[in-house]
Amino acid sequence: MDRREFLRNSTYCGLALAFGGPLTALRAHAATPLGDQRWEELYRDEFLDTRGDAQGFAFHCSNCQGNCAWKVFAKDGRVTREEQSAAYPQIHPRIPDANPRGCNKGIVHSKEMYQGDRLLHPLKRAGERGEGKWERVSWEEALEDIATRVVDTLTEQGPGELMVYAGTGILSQGRRAGPLRLGSLLGAQRLYPASAVGDMFTGASLAYGLANTGHSLDAWFDADAIFLWAINPIVTRIPDAHYLNEARYNGATIYTISPDYNPSCKFATHWVPIKPGTDAYLAMSLLHVLLRDGHVNDAFVREQTDLPFLVREDSGELLRHRDLRARGKEDVFYCWDEASGKEQPMPGTPGHFKKTLRLGKLRPALGGRYEIKGKEGELIPVTTVFERVRAEAANYPPDETQAITGVHPELVERMARDLARSNKAIINIGFALHKYVSGTMSCWAAALACALTGHAGERGGIDTEHNWSLNGIGPLSSPKPARFASGFFSEWLNGDMQASMDTHYSDEHLKATAGYDSKDVERQVAENRESGKAYYGKPRALLLFADNMFRRNKTEAHHREAVLSNLDIFVDINHRMDSTALWADYVLPAKSHYESWDIRGELGYHRFCNVTIPPEGLKPVGETRSEWAICLGLSEAMAKVARARGIEPIADPDFLVQEGDMAAPVMRDLQTLPDDFTDGGTLKNDEDVVRWLMENVEQIAPWTPEDARKNGFVILNEKAGFTSPLYANRPYHSFERNVYLREPYKTHSGRQQFFVDHPVFKEHGWTVPTAIGPLRPPSFPLAFYTPHTRWGIHSQWRTNEQLLRLQRGEPYLWLNPATAAARDVGEDDRVRVFNDVGEFIARVKLMPAVPPEAVVMDHAWEPHQFEKRIGLNSTVAGMISLLELPDGWGHLTFSPNWDGNMIAHESSVEVEKA
Amino acid sequence: MTARQLGMVIDLNKCIGCQTCTLACKSQWTDRDGREFMYWNHVETRPGKGYPKDWEQAGGGWDGDTLRPGRLPRLHEDYGYPAEFGYEVLFEEGEKPLRPKEEMAWGPNWDEDQGAGEYPNSYFFYLPRLCNHCSNPACQVACPRQAIYKREEDGIVLIDQERCRGYRYCVAACPYKKIYFNPLAGKSEKCIFCYPRLEKGLPQACAYQCVGRARHVAFLDDQEGALHQLVNQWKVALPLHAEYGTQPNVYYVPPLSPPKIGSNGRSLDEPRVPDEYLVQLFGPGVGAALEMLREEMAKKNRGEASELMDLLIAYRHGDMFRLDRPREVV
Repeated sequence: MDRREFLRNSTYCGLALAFGGPLTALRAHAATPLGDQRWEELYRDEFLDTRGDAQGFAFHCSNCQGNCAWKVFAKDGRVTREEQSAAYPQIHPRIPDANPRGCNKGIVHSKEMYQGDRLLHPLKRAGERGEGKWERVSWEEALEDIATRVVDTLTEQGPGELMVYAGTGILSQGRRAGPLRLGSLLGAQRLYPASAVGDMFTGASLAYGLANTGHSLDAWFDADAIFLWAINPIVTRIPDAHYLNEARYNGATIYTISPDYNPSCKFATHWVPIKPGTDAYLAMSLLHVLLRDGHVNDAFVREQTDLPFLVREDSGELLRHRDLRARGKEDVFYCWDEASGKEQPMPGTPGHFKKTLRLGKLRPALGGRYEIKGKEGELIPVTTVFERVRAEAANYPPDETQAITGVHPELVERMARDLARSNKAIINIGFALHKYVSGTMSCWAAALACALTGHAGERGGIDTEHNWSLNGIGPLSSPKPARFASGFFSEWLNGDMQASMDTHYSDEHLKATAGYDSKDVERQVAENRESGKAYYGKPRALLLFADNMFRRNKTEAHHREAVLSNLDIFVDINHRMDSTALWADYVLPAKSHYESWDIRGELGYHRFCNVTIPPEGLKPVGETRSEWAICLGLSEAMAKVARARGIEPIADPDFLVQEGDMAAPVMRDLQTLPDDFTDGGTLKNDEDVVRWLMENVEQIAPWTPEDARKNGFVILNEKAGFTSPLYANRPYHSFERNVYLREPYKTHSGRQQFFVDHPVFKEHGWTVPTAIGPLRPPSFPLAFYTPHTRWGIHSQWRTNEQLLRLQRGEPYLWLNPATAAARDVGEDDRVRVFNDVGEFIARVKLMPAVPPEAVVMDHAWEPHQFEKRIGLNSTVAGMISLLELPDGWGHLTFSPNWDGNMIAHESSVEVEKA
Repeated sequence: MTARQLGMVIDLNKCIGCQTCTLACKSQWTDRDGREFMYWNHVETRPGKGYPKDWEQAGGGWDGDTLRPGRLPRLHEDYGYPAEFGYEVLFEEGEKPLRPKEEMAWGPNWDEDQGAGEYPNSYFFYLPRLCNHCSNPACQVACPRQAIYKREEDGIVLIDQERCRGYRYCVAACPYKKIYFNPLAGKSEKCIFCYPRLEKGLPQACAYQCVGRARHVAFLDDQEGALHQLVNQWKVALPLHAEYGTQPNVYYVPPLSPPKIGSNGRSLDEPRVPDEYLVQLFGPGVGAALEMLREEMAKKNRGEASELMDLLIAYRHGDMFRLDRPREVV
């Protein structure tokens, strides 16, 4: 409805005020209606209209780990409404079912897809970058020009200068396959998304060699104790939050550890209010209590952890085979065997011939000091990892850590007791924890707490974010080797981020809080670059799919300018005009969640693999195309250019293929690109891709797309678990293969690992879990942290009209009323948030839930929603953690399980009335 | 009294304030035709002014057997005009931010997560609200056109859109301020308990699509239904502001909260939400209801069985809805 029309009519409402006097009942209750009820057809007809004439299924393939099956209704080719499929089967009569999965974001996509920021046509920049002058062009013209310029880059500078990156706006197996395959054929760079967005759980990586581990979230239901650490699932895991509340009704004790009284605290048994960024001290005090009171599951830690491993007291390093024998191995480690009264190699380490954790006759000592004869006959004084851990934890009694954390010792004692006495306890680590430098340590210490108390397998343990294993996708997404780059490290260098770190954090302050300074970071960055750590230089051509890079990165404009200054061509492929697309040379309009076939099954919160099947007869929105069609179009246009210029296959000697006994460089053949992309014409479109995946991923067997047409999903089979089988009738728990079958872990020690003697760890006293931080510089009085929001999946749906009406329409921050009053700031006032890195303006919402020492703001508002389009990351200084940079030590080697984070929550700010 | 009465229990220990119900209702009924500003169902944070703003101070309901005077909420100040956004700025030159064309003054969730109290002892909880389909509806009596009636078969209160002339006496008379005036149609409208869905065997959009699994729907006379059990048997589900006299048929399981924290950080054995605040909303039975919940939770904690907890857990989503006819639509 037109606004003017609405207001004209609504003047009735104004006049109506005059009617607001006392009212008198005119008659007693009408027993029966006066008229007939035929008018009721009015709403019945409306209902049928929303139900439409066609029905499809969809999930929302953004960086949301919810993965919920929805019905999508359409009428006359236009989507009318969506409703959760709500048909997931119950896996066991005593476990609540998963229905109806789907939240406030998913439910507005039928509006979002037709909203005014939807990209409808290919646009070409007609002014300076970011100036906002656009020219509408045809697909043919856009693809031809882009292809020409990308071919120029490839032929003149080589494949490493091209980045083809699909961001976290599309994280499914179907739609994501297009950009992955194109980038792979061309040898382009792509970033590791989890580290680009700062979602690495490096504390879990240290302990298990796995960043993503844990349970399906129905595993909450029968837990005895649940610790929600820096995670706010009532807001951020909406489809699974019911399992928490049902667990509480089922007798679970729930703790939330958070500086603010967030919504999850309301639903908890106990809220543990902690000062921002001091979590590592709390974790260490928990270890202190567990060790002080002897809450140690002896059999578990002897077999499943490296706690009995011997540590040299002279060098502070693990005792290795090479210490005892000339030409000894690097990856064989020792225990002190109480049975034989001497050192013995531990089975199950990578270098040991026994590939099992079974100890046999060994009785590894947990404690003690010993002397062992070295390879030169010298006596080496040794102790155990357990002794080191115990000595470190002894430094953190809860009555002393209270001064730092604000957490009362009684609460620490109670948590430790509940962890120790629970049959099943789960510690959920939220993404916010590793947004502090100390996060690695907090998480590592929490993992140790679970190890001491034997929480693994069906007894619970650490839950970071569990994912399923899906095999067989390689031939589709990675037909040729390409440049897989560290996300955080590339963005750090591409965005020249050290500058703002140096501005915001003094070296003295860093040394005092983190134990390292900017020179240490600089040195380690240089070392990583020299050793060729997963970094391929600043790209000159960027094809960016569904990634809001210039919204996400810290320092905002500083990062953006650094990246753009190196780009000859920047193409943004997206379904909406986001803060990154605004700066592109070309914007290509993509289909969104309901418009192309898609499939997603890797998300481990539940076992259901959802399939998007658009409603029959759905009309295209503008000239949008699927990512697959766009990549195919680009392939065809590049082949045309290559044929016209007679470009022969380009050798890419960074990657070799073995042919017989000869190694030859991988060839990037532009002329055959469309044929290679479609695999000889078999993968023509998005539907072909989904069908291919369902046929080739073994965890999806035996299901077909026709099965998915019933309710929008299929069920993964028992092979989907990485570290345990996925049983049909039980929630998934991690590490059953290790705990019950004694398979080694994917760590340097083959066990849950709590000792790391990498030189950087050794130099800074980080060999065992310890406390560091917070880094927050005292130059500005308030901590600034930006948790995940209820109102978007990062920036997706952040500009949705329906959702903004349920907020305040524009960016606001949360301020404690006392903090606001001290600055003469009131509810809904505009304030300037500033520090030495930048500033932005937002409204104030007075929140007694927020600690007086902090400014809290929902993350991921689009910069273009702020005044002058300057967003909240303007005040967040660059920071990376020295703990996350070391590379090339056992399992600490770049991979999806070892990479770092852009540290987001350590900056400090001040606030004043604008 | 009608032959049968359909009701709803909303469990405030399972309502997570996500507003999925609000948006399910909106896309089912109120995203069009002059209803854009209406939220037949919404979730407000309590304590707070709510939606429409200060509705508890706007009168209506019963004073004994006479109607209490009520006032009409204002569109901009009390409901909030539905913000519209000029997305075209994203395709134009300049630095104009994407903002509502007119600043928002209020909205259905303006108070979100604010609550009351002082750090670290602040408190809040979520309160979903919709038409209570009252057994003694003030709106019905207030209507001079006799356009409002209760359906015999399910007790749903409806405003006959052919008889209604838009006088808005009902808007003022409803003490929950859950009737809205449609300026385009010139008629009053409100939650219809999704009767077109119910008639096809499909529960209300707000209940069926509640991802927190907080809503039970059943006929009050259904002995097997959650309504009878939670309201009459266990007495843990209570009406909101029973003193308004309209005999609501939407009931609430009152909210639990973690304990207060002392000045030294020690966890205290004191309730975070003041008892009198809950009594004000849910009446004098709220203390006993909360005690019952705690006792039954403690049983589960000790590994014992609890029928009440199992009922509230609701192992199967489909079992939360006991309608009187089978599902006819897919």
